[in-house]
Amino acid sequence: MPELNPVVHGRLRLALLALLSSVEEAEFTWLRAKTEATDGNLGAQLLKLEEVGYVAVEKKFVLRKPQSLYRITERGRQALAEYVRALKQLLGPAVDA
Amino acid sequence: MQDHTTEQELKERLGLIERMIAEGRRNTESWGWTFVLWGIVYYVAIAWSAWDHSVWAWPATISIGVLTTIVIASFKAGNHPKTTLNRAIGSIWIAVGISMFLLFLTLGVTGRLTDQHLFAAVISAILGIANGASALILRWKIQFACAIVWWAAAVGTSFGTDAQSMTVFLFAIFFCQIVFGIYGIIAKVQPREQRNPGNA
Repeated sequence: MPELNPVVHGRLRLALLALLSSVEEAEFTWLRAKTEATDGNLGAQLLKLEEVGYVAVEKKFVLRKPQSLYRITERGRQALAEYVRALKQLLGPAVDA
Repeated sequence: MQDHTTEQELKERLGLIERMIAEGRRNTESWGWTFVLWGIVYYVAIAWSAWDHSVWAWPATISIGVLTTIVIASFKAGNHPKTTLNRAIGSIWIAVGISMFLLFLTLGVTGRLTDQHLFAAVISAILGIANGASALILRWKIQFACAIVWWAAAVGTSFGTDAQSMTVFLFAIFFCQIVFGIYGIIAKVQPREQRNPGNA
């Protein structure tokens, strides 16, 4: 049976990877609005994804305000694709139910 | 790990992925305000040029419109993700904006904006192209209706008297800029129906 990647499996981390896979890059506040996570939890999960190389962050100032732009890396995209593959394999025929 | 994971939980994870991807792909960026702003810009420019026939009416008003758009857009930009779709739509409007700015700046300064029918028809045709392309990318029927109104205006403004031509042009601006812009602002407000991962 396939193993589910524990880093990707976390609910908020999975949501973040899925969100980031559908955009080129996204700001912290947009991710917060979409996931409705708290600043602390969101920051911690993004840091974890960054540490394993699944997301990359660019910090800059726009109109004197700090902005953190996140994007999914190739490694993160592969990890998400493998996770979905494993998930579908585990669910088998139940996936369409 | 999956020993402790129920089938229900796995299905929920799959559903979460699909939901988040759909959420990311949804064009959340609201540009309704730009339509309203540019509707006002056109009305100001028309009123100014009708009032003192200044060659600077259109170039100056469009310049102020461009600056206002850039300032407001840069304030709003941080809240939205960059997507290929947004870039495609943005590219159309930026290219149209640059074309109109250069064309009407040059024609205005050289004093060649004298044929009101031709002028209104050209603006209407350009806006028909931009709205049509944007509507086809977004598959947005209401914006395509605006494109049809602009194309009809491009034909309609070529006929009749100056007053009739201007009436057609003013109606197209009202419907496709002001009404459509307000609709765009209102339509963006949608209720959230799904439980989000941050609340798990």
